[in-house]
This record gives sequence, C-alpha cells and structure tokens, in this order.
Amino acid sequence: MGLESKLPNGILLTNLERFVNYSRSTSLWPATFGLACCAIEMMAVGGPRHDVSRFGMEVFRASPRQADLMIVAGRVSNKMAPVLRRIYDQMSDPKWVLSMGVCATSGGMFNNYALVQGVDHIVPVDMYVPGCPPRPEMLLDGILKLHEKIRNETFAEQGAKA
Amino acid sequence: MTATNPSAETYGLFDESDVYVEGADWEEVVDAITDDRLTVNMGPQHPSTHGVLRLVLELDGETVTNLKPIIGYLHTGIEKNAEFRTWVQGCTFFTRMDYLAPLFNELAYCLGAEKLLGIEVPDRANAVRVILTEFNRISSHLVWLATVGMELGSTTMMTFGFREREHILDLFESQSGLRMNHAYIRPGGLAQDVTDDFLERCESLLKLLPDKIGEYEDLLARNPIWVDRLKDVGVLSTERCLELGVTGPLLRASGMSWDLRKSQPYCGIDQYDFDVPTDSSGDSYGRFLVRVEEMRQSLRIIRQALDTLPGGPVMVADKRIAWPSQQSLGADGVGNDPEYIRHIMGESMEALINHFKLVTQGFTVPAGQVYVPVESPRGELGYAITSVGTNKPYRVHVREPSFVNLQAANEMSSGHMVADVIAVVASIDPVMGGVDR
Amino acid sequence: MTLDELQAALATAFPDARAEVALGELTVHVDPEDVMDVLTFAKSQLGCELLADLSGVHWPAGDHVVERQMSTTGWPQYRVSRDAGVIEVLYILRSVSHNHWFRVGTAVGDDAPVLPSATALYETANFHEREVYDFFGVEFTGHPDLTRILMPDDWLGHPHRKDYPLGGVDIPYHNDKFIPSPHERDLREVVE
Repeated sequence: MGLESKLPNGILLTNLERFVNYSRSTSLWPATFGLACCAIEMMAVGGPRHDVSRFGMEVFRASPRQADLMIVAGRVSNKMAPVLRRIYDQMSDPKWVLSMGVCATSGGMFNNYALVQGVDHIVPVDMYVPGCPPRPEMLLDGILKLHEKIRNETFAEQGAKA
Repeated sequence: MTATNPSAETYGLFDESDVYVEGADWEEVVDAITDDRLTVNMGPQHPSTHGVLRLVLELDGETVTNLKPIIGYLHTGIEKNAEFRTWVQGCTFFTRMDYLAPLFNELAYCLGAEKLLGIEVPDRANAVRVILTEFNRISSHLVWLATVGMELGSTTMMTFGFREREHILDLFESQSGLRMNHAYIRPGGLAQDVTDDFLERCESLLKLLPDKIGEYEDLLARNPIWVDRLKDVGVLSTERCLELGVTGPLLRASGMSWDLRKSQPYCGIDQYDFDVPTDSSGDSYGRFLVRVEEMRQSLRIIRQALDTLPGGPVMVADKRIAWPSQQSLGADGVGNDPEYIRHIMGESMEALINHFKLVTQGFTVPAGQVYVPVESPRGELGYAITSVGTNKPYRVHVREPSFVNLQAANEMSSGHMVADVIAVVASIDPVMGGVDR
Repeated sequence: MTLDELQAALATAFPDARAEVALGELTVHVDPEDVMDVLTFAKSQLGCELLADLSGVHWPAGDHVVERQMSTTGWPQYRVSRDAGVIEVLYILRSVSHNHWFRVGTAVGDDAPVLPSATALYETANFHEREVYDFFGVEFTGHPDLTRILMPDDWLGHPHRKDYPLGGVDIPYHNDKFIPSPHERDLREVVE
C-alpha cells in the first residue's frame, strides 16, 4: 500500500554508525528553552502552518533529561547564562545546540553590559540560524541542516565533543 | 564573558574566574525557613511560567502561602542601549521589548518623540497606526489564548491561536517586511505608505476573524475544565488593582472601565465608536472574557478606521525630520526611487546634505521630559522620555505593564493550590521581554 | 481637574515646591524630604489612586551645554551646569476617577542617594523602587525588600548611571579591522 510496497525485498546493509545517526536525526527531541522573541517563532514552528512534526520534532520536552536538542531561542543575559549551562549539563548525551537568532549567535544589536555576546561562550553550538527573529522557515532550514550534520557525524567526533 | 561585563574593568575588583553569576540566593532562602513550610523553586526554565520567569513558592502542604517572582533573566539593557543611538534607531530597540506587542512599543515611543518635537502626524498615518496596533492587540491576545490553552492542557486552543495569528502576521509582513519587531512606526509617521493590497488584506482578515473568535468562545467559554481551572482563581478587587498598579484587562475584569484609548485618546482613536468590555468577577475567567471581547471591539475599530481611511502622506512634511518615506519601488523591488535620487543628486545640494545628515546623524529633538502612555494589550504602556536637545535620547524609561502587573501574582495566588499558580500567572499575561527589558 | 486647578492646588499646599507646565504636562519639583508629603497629599486630596510610574534619570556633575539651537531650529539653547551630580527620581501620579495625572520630580545627590520609600502609600512602588535601586543606586528607606531586581545579585555598579559604560565587545572583521564597542565609539553629540 504505502512505502512498504516500494521497498525491495531482502536485506538492507548499512554500518552501525550510519544507522544510529539516521535514527538520531529523525527523532530529535528539543527542550522547551524559549527566551525572547525567537521563542514565539519557535512556537510558531510547532504551530499548524509550519508544523515541525513533519520532521519528528513536535515533542518539545519540558525536562532537559529527556531532550537532546537545545534551541537557544533568544538573547542570553548574564543572569541567565549559568542557568542555561546547567540545563545543558543536565541533557543526556548525545546532545546538540541550535543557536536561533542573531542575539543568541553573537549578541546582535544588543552589544552591551547585560547580554552574553554569543551563546557559544557558554555551550558548544552546532548550528547557527541568523535573523531577528528568524522566520519559521529559516528555523526549519536550520533544523534540516542540523539533521544533515547529525547523519554525517562519526562516533569519534561525537565522543570528542562530549 | 569577561569583556561583556564592564563592571570588571570599571571597578577592577574581580578576575576572570569570578564573572559567572550563580543564582546563589537559593541556600539562603532554604536556610531561612524554620517551620515545616516547603519552598519550591519554579523556573526560570519551566514550561508553564511564560518564558524565563522564576517563581519561589512557599507551600503549606499543597497550598501556596507566598509567591515571589524573581525576574531579570532576560534583562537586555534596551533602555541604556537606546541612549547610544539616534531617535529613529530607537524604534528598532523598543520594538524588541514586548515582543508580542511590538507595534505598541513603537507607537508609544514615537508619540513621545513627536510630543517633544511638537509635530502633528498626518491623518493617514494615524489611521494606519490605529489599524495595525489594533490588529496587534488581536494577535497578542491570540498568543495569550494559545499559551494559556497549552498551559491548562488545551492543545487545540494552542494550534487555533497560532493558526489565526499567522494570518495577522502575514498582514504585518506585507506592510513592514517583518513578521515581528517591525520598526514600522517612526517618529513623524510611518516608515512607508501601506501597499496597494492593504485594504484587501484587512478586509479578508475582518471576514475571517469574527467567526474564529466565536469558535474560541464555543470551544472554551462553557468548557467545564476551562471554567473549573479559571473561575474564582486569582481574584483581585478594583481597589487592590489600583494599589498594586495593575492596569489593562486585569483592571477591567475587576469591574473598572478604565481604558487609555477612552480616557487619554491617542492617534485619533476617539473618533471611532467602541466599547470598553468589563467583567465584575475579577477572576481569571473574567479576564478571559474581557480579552475575547476586546478582540471583537478591536475589529470594530479596524472596520471604522478602514471605512474612513484618509488619503495623503504618511510622514510629516518637515524634511528635517521626515525620512523619505514616499518612495516608489523600482522594478527590481529594491526601492530606489529614481525621482528622489535625481532630486538629491542632480538638483539640490541642500537636499543631498540634508539626506546625508538625516541618515548618518538623525534629527535632533528639543530638550524636555514627556510621559506618553498607550493602552497596550497588557495595560498602560508608558514611555518616560528625557531629551537634552541632541540627536540621541538622554534617557528613556519604559513603564511596562507586564512588569508592574507581575507584582499582583503573590496576592492572586496566595491560598490557592500549586496548580492554580499556572492559571494565575497565565492570566496576568506577562511577557518577559517587557518585564525585564 | 484641569492642569491649572491641579497646579493651583499644589502651589497652595506646597508653596516651596516649583510646579510648572511644559508640553502639556504638569511637573512638581520638590525637595527629597517633601516627597512623601506631596504623595500623601496627592493620594488623599487629589484622588491619585495610581502610582503609574517611578523612574530615575542620572545627571552627572559638570557642564552640559547644547548650543546653536536657536539659529538653526528655533529651539531654545540647553545649558545645565551642576557642581554635584544628581539622580532625578520621577513619580507619575494618576487619578483614575478624575482622569488627570501629573509628575512629581525630586533630585538626590548621586554619591549616596537616599529617598523615603513610597511602598507604604502605594504598594506598586515596590518593583519600581527596586528597579531604581538596581539601576541608579538610590536607597529607599523603609522599603520591605530592597534588593536588585533585574541585574544578578552580585553585580557591581548601577548600570543606568551615566558614568557606567554601556559595555559590549569590539566587533572584529576578517581584514583585522574592527568596530569598537558602542560606548567607545565617537559619541559626539550632534546639535544641528
């Protein structure tokens, strides 16, 4: 009927690394980590028009223990920085960080005393999405590129990161 | 990290390793408790606290005895940053404050700048400002409905709210180029005139939204779970509202018909006929009813404003202030206006100088102090602006309704269950970008 | 009440205070020790139930002149000279029942600013005063919980004072050029 009828019979050969990475990339569970304006666009991505569940990501986990992707959506203040790091530390490996928007990426237009000038000062970032705020399509594009990256990562690289 | 903290250089008091700031007050809080009350920390990363709000709850069993909001996790220094930018650039900063009502922030800031300048905005600009801000009020209330629905377990409402909001954002995007954080309202008028299909787009929204608002009411107003979780939760009387400085839908839900659009009208909003919805209950359910009715009243205002939309310019005539907004769009869509370029490059040296100065330095604003309030979706949004006559604001202080209303959270949730805290905080509708600025 | 009536009422009650109307807004300038009297009077006699806003402005010591206004724009010249820096604290008092509002302004020295807290009169002053304390260092005596509100607890300095730098970092480019951080850029004030 569906996909099954198109599949060839027999055995599918792949290596473990690719198989595991494929599974990981297709069921990323983001943590609900909304900070500022970008968080609203992140919610819009979960909304009906953009519908991130097409990519197996609609389950935004409230607990960092159950999440493996942190979308840093918005500006990170000096007061928030230790909290953010603590949440990142609580996430179980393997984990990825997507820096959404220009404030999280580099401080953006707020080059001042209050903000951390780029969340990569605190946590390692895997994907940067520009924009202020990025359109939901841009976030989806960033997420798909992150999927691509996860699929091509080797275990050795992941081990070195953690 | 160190470099971002100027106090390290200024005061020379600590070295690199000391900059990280821990929420170190937790142990003090716990140590101070001697009886068997339980202190629970909620947030700043919590799915139900509306952003990075942190609440320290004191519980007696399951009952809340004290609630302390701890804020500042999103402090961005916008007020200080604006002191280092020109008046026009200020728009781009303040629009990012309360990110669910960006147009209201721009509007209040620009009204303040215009009051200092002593200029009158053209009628068309005023009418467009009213139309767009009222649409913004609807989109903000939609996000409120969506997030409260999500927090109280109604995921359907969340998808509904975001579904309709997208349509309003499409209108904003077609006019300003951005879905949020528009910087579309500028001192002296608007960044550019509305597009040709503006009326058409507004009409289609006016057709779409009344049915949808009815749909939300059908879904929620008599829904037993919704009623049970909101009714008689977070009651606040009118007197307490005023003492705590609470304005907006919370004040109106307590029975007070106070709306700055009526009492201190701005942008000619008094020429439109609309009601101020109130409710006598003062509880969270009343706030829901008031907000839903407000959306309907906003549609009424938009209807009238569209019918009487005047023609003419959308920027003041004074060339020292007016950003050249009436530019025709080239075929390439870039927006270079050949006539304007011919004027400044070929015909008038003064016009070129003026354009250059306007773009690089901005205009200057006479010295003075103003306080301009508008009725944002969350209450009285006031801009207290001080100018000393230069091209930059000397100081801009924002009276943010979310910031002030949050003080009522303790009183509203005391005596309720822990689960009701969610409903109470949600009914205040704090936007952390506005609270922390 | 109209602005004139308000002004007259305040002038009668507080002859030392300076009440002036500018840009359609009434401002009453009082000494720090009279602030509470004016607020009490406003609440009891003028019907101001709502303290709409409380904010601070820092005016550091020294000359501050913005000249050449009259010739080009017709705006008056601006000249302020202070021997000692002050923190100006502004209260916006609003009457919901009578629909009027006015501003109370007071100035305290910026080396050790102290003001009485308005929290006993207006509970809403709680967060506002904590904010002014956080950003300007004004100590409000009698405040129930005067701690930092927006900055971290162990932050040093009061960021919105004019002697506090904006902060920020230099922005480097590939060709080894860089834009300095905002507070180190040319902050010449344009007075055209």
